[in-house]
Amino acid sequence: MAEVILNQVRKSYGAVEVIPDLSLVIPDGSFTVLVGPSGCGKSTLLRMIAGLEKTSAGQIIIDRENVTGAEPDKRGIAMVFQSYALYPHMSVRQNIGFALRLAKRPKPEIRQRVEEAAEILQLESLLDRKPRELSGGQRQRVAIGRAIVRNPKVFLFDEPLSNLDAALRTQMRVELAELHAKLDATMIYVTHDQVEAMTMADQIVIMKSGVIQQVGQPMELYNQPENPFVAGFIGSPKMNLLEGSLARDQNAAIVGVRPEHISISQESGEWHGKVRHAEHLGSDTVAYIDADDIGSVTVRLQGEVPMKTGSPIWMTPVKGNVHLFRPDGSVERV
Amino acid sequence: MFSWKESGRIIVLLFVSSLILVPLSATVLGGFKTTGEMRVSPFGLPREWITEVYAEILADSSFWRYLWNSFLISILTVALTLIFGSMAAYAFAQAKFFGANFLYSYLLLGLMFPFAAAILPLFLTVRDLGILDTPWGVILPQVAFGLAFSVMFFRTFFAQMPDELFEAARVDGCGYIRFFFLFTLPLSTPILATIATFVFVQSWNNYLLPLIMLNDREGYTWTLGAMDYRGEYSWEWNRTLAFVSATLAPAVVFFLAAQKYIVAGLTGGAVKG
Repeated sequence: MAEVILNQVRKSYGAVEVIPDLSLVIPDGSFTVLVGPSGCGKSTLLRMIAGLEKTSAGQIIIDRENVTGAEPDKRGIAMVFQSYALYPHMSVRQNIGFALRLAKRPKPEIRQRVEEAAEILQLESLLDRKPRELSGGQRQRVAIGRAIVRNPKVFLFDEPLSNLDAALRTQMRVELAELHAKLDATMIYVTHDQVEAMTMADQIVIMKSGVIQQVGQPMELYNQPENPFVAGFIGSPKMNLLEGSLARDQNAAIVGVRPEHISISQESGEWHGKVRHAEHLGSDTVAYIDADDIGSVTVRLQGEVPMKTGSPIWMTPVKGNVHLFRPDGSVERV
Repeated sequence: MFSWKESGRIIVLLFVSSLILVPLSATVLGGFKTTGEMRVSPFGLPREWITEVYAEILADSSFWRYLWNSFLISILTVALTLIFGSMAAYAFAQAKFFGANFLYSYLLLGLMFPFAAAILPLFLTVRDLGILDTPWGVILPQVAFGLAFSVMFFRTFFAQMPDELFEAARVDGCGYIRFFFLFTLPLSTPILATIATFVFVQSWNNYLLPLIMLNDREGYTWTLGAMDYRGEYSWEWNRTLAFVSATLAPAVVFFLAAQKYIVAGLTGGAVKG
């Protein structure tokens, strides 16, 4: 358990600056998710915290200790890799116990701690197998077990679920959240999937080109995005970001409305348009509408709503849920 | 029973293996024939199995001495080549340091240098080192010449190892040197076995170098011994063939033992395939 503080850290490869100047506090015991499009520097930042990448400038402080120049194993962290990186020639038991063996812990203690970790992850029956005899989900669990057994202050996850299929991913998401509740440790999790971020995090950090765009709780980011990038990144389907005369009339650069915050009517409304295409998902209906003078607008409606391509339709944004992004960078919600 | 394609393949394979098996069996069987029969039917089964020639060779102490000398030289060459080759290759594959490419290219130059061209300077160096007429006089030059290609093979193999494996081990507290012994070597048995077999067989069959470096009969390898033997019994071809057959055995055994590892790929399961 520990607080992680990044103090004006920078990372550059030669002349290329990947992370310009970044400060961030990750509270003790939080599940913080770093999220952003690929190439935004989130993995690099995680690897800097792990000590696998050198920090070009600034400080990394874990549990009140400056670890900027420390070796990875001296930082009190454990990391789970995207590819699992299990040791192929070792059994599950040896994989999980490897760090303890290197730290020269007594054998009975290693055995006990490995078995404890295996119990938490339901790996008891697999302890004597080799990684190649395991399924994807089991391998993932072993990788997590390898982290748990070291009893780290901070867990680092680098896109750990991206190699799993959709069903398993959902299951592992729940398991990871439960694990966090059980261990009560600080976890930092990198992903490009905003659904993973929204479902697991208690703090989300959105990054773009090495710069933090916004930090906050999931619902905070959903309800009060500070800029159009965050607004568009969080939520699915994507928020409608409308420019042009509609924005100019309201003295804004961009007007943002979430698809679920638009009601429709056959008779009257604020915007008029024609249905271009509708997706019927059962629980929801997602309609893509060509609005006059505004452009394409996505609307999400609860339940099954009959829609015909080409039919005229009226739309009205729900009050209090329209985000006006001003040219000066401020935001107003009306 | 077989399709045309399959039959074609089988015929080609039979032909290729016969290229190896026919002379080999002629050699082995030749030792069981009389000289007279050798001339009449060099390839057929012996009419009467004569075991005395083999028995005589196996009872000869100098035969065992030749074999032991060859074995010692080969096994030490293999050991040293594997140790130094794999360590050098590991450095080239894992560490980035100034002049790495230059050094590596320099090492690879060794590939283009034929043994025979270097034989005179080699002899002088070995003489100056005072290891003429000792096994080291053969072992060290053989290791030196084997390093170039073994480093090349090792480096390619090591470089294919996933980076995340090293990073995971690093987070677990494993440094470069420990990683080499705990991960790189155990995961490289296929390439280690391949190079070991290659170096062993090459050393086992080496004639030129022992010929130059070893003058004392006590230190002769089997290749020199075979020449000696042939000189002594030049008209008794069955003896020479029996001698050659008996000396081939260790190399064949070594190959069979290593074969399993050559075929096996061990990295499966390291990263998601």
